[in-house]
Amino acid sequence: MFSERERERYKRQMMLFGNEGQERLKKAHIFIAGAGGLGSPVSLYLAVAGIGTLTVVDRDVVDQSNLNRQILHNDNDIGRKKTESAEEKLRAINPDITIRVIDATIEEKNAEKLVGKADGIVDAMDNYPARYILNDIAIRKKIPLFHGAICGFYGQATTVIPGETACFACIFQKAPPKEVFPVVGVTPGIIGVIQATEVLKYLLKSGELLTNRLFIWDGMQAHAEEIRMERDPRCAACGSLFENYGDKQ
Amino acid sequence: MKVKVRFFARFRELLGTELIAEVAERTTLPDLIQQITQKNIEGYNAIFDESGHFREYVIVMRNARRIDLEDAEKNIVANGDDIAIFPPVAGG
Repeated sequence: MFSERERERYKRQMMLFGNEGQERLKKAHIFIAGAGGLGSPVSLYLAVAGIGTLTVVDRDVVDQSNLNRQILHNDNDIGRKKTESAEEKLRAINPDITIRVIDATIEEKNAEKLVGKADGIVDAMDNYPARYILNDIAIRKKIPLFHGAICGFYGQATTVIPGETACFACIFQKAPPKEVFPVVGVTPGIIGVIQATEVLKYLLKSGELLTNRLFIWDGMQAHAEEIRMERDPRCAACGSLFENYGDKQ
Repeated sequence: MKVKVRFFARFRELLGTELIAEVAERTTLPDLIQQITQKNIEGYNAIFDESGHFREYVIVMRNARRIDLEDAEKNIVANGDDIAIFPPVAGG
């Protein structure tokens, strides 16, 4: 059931997916790993779309050098916990949803508990070790993982449905080296909004998900491309989910 | 024979978006990419490690199919092949 204010708030998108679609969004709980460059657009757009519960996890405090891209935060937030800043902004942008924030580092030992009963995980991290942990949790809980990553004007995104599609570790078998990456805010803006779009499509059960495909964005060329990806039957992360299927895939 | 090679992301900055390479018969895929990149040290080093193998995180596609890097040299390129080389990005 929606309040009068919610009906008015979501009027234009309910033209697209109706009362039923909006109910699906309202009942959903999405876990957003990171409140930085990708986490900012992801959480803002999922909040305004009316996802019922958002959990946002981050361990950092806001730094001046974050502000060229992390649009959840502003100059007044410098020195504050990103989770505290995120909670305030997201509550303000949509008071009709539940925002949960957790000030924590995502690690193997706590990740399962942090994700809890969420219906999906958005990867808004900036390193591969954390992404492999999120991928493992997504597989264990059989919930989707919405991956995004950026560097400079380049970005990539893919969606993982455990047990059905290539997982993050099938696609990225080895992590690239850690580096201080150059970035301009528009790139996580584009990739984050693609991730948020994937979340909506998944919850609405409509459209074609970005599964078994790696979306690649080149902002300098204004060119998007996709590379077909396949499940790796030897994948240490998701291989066991497919054992019953033999080598049919 | 002619083979198309496309580079993505940072490889594109170092080596250009795409090129058509003229290659000899029986050239392996790693040999082809080494020939193309040998005059561009930075580009070469971005793709290959010290022992001349593809860096383990590089994604190499041949005609839209992923190449297993452990068996890369088993791929003999053929006329009209479309090779794509992609470095995953990590930031967020």
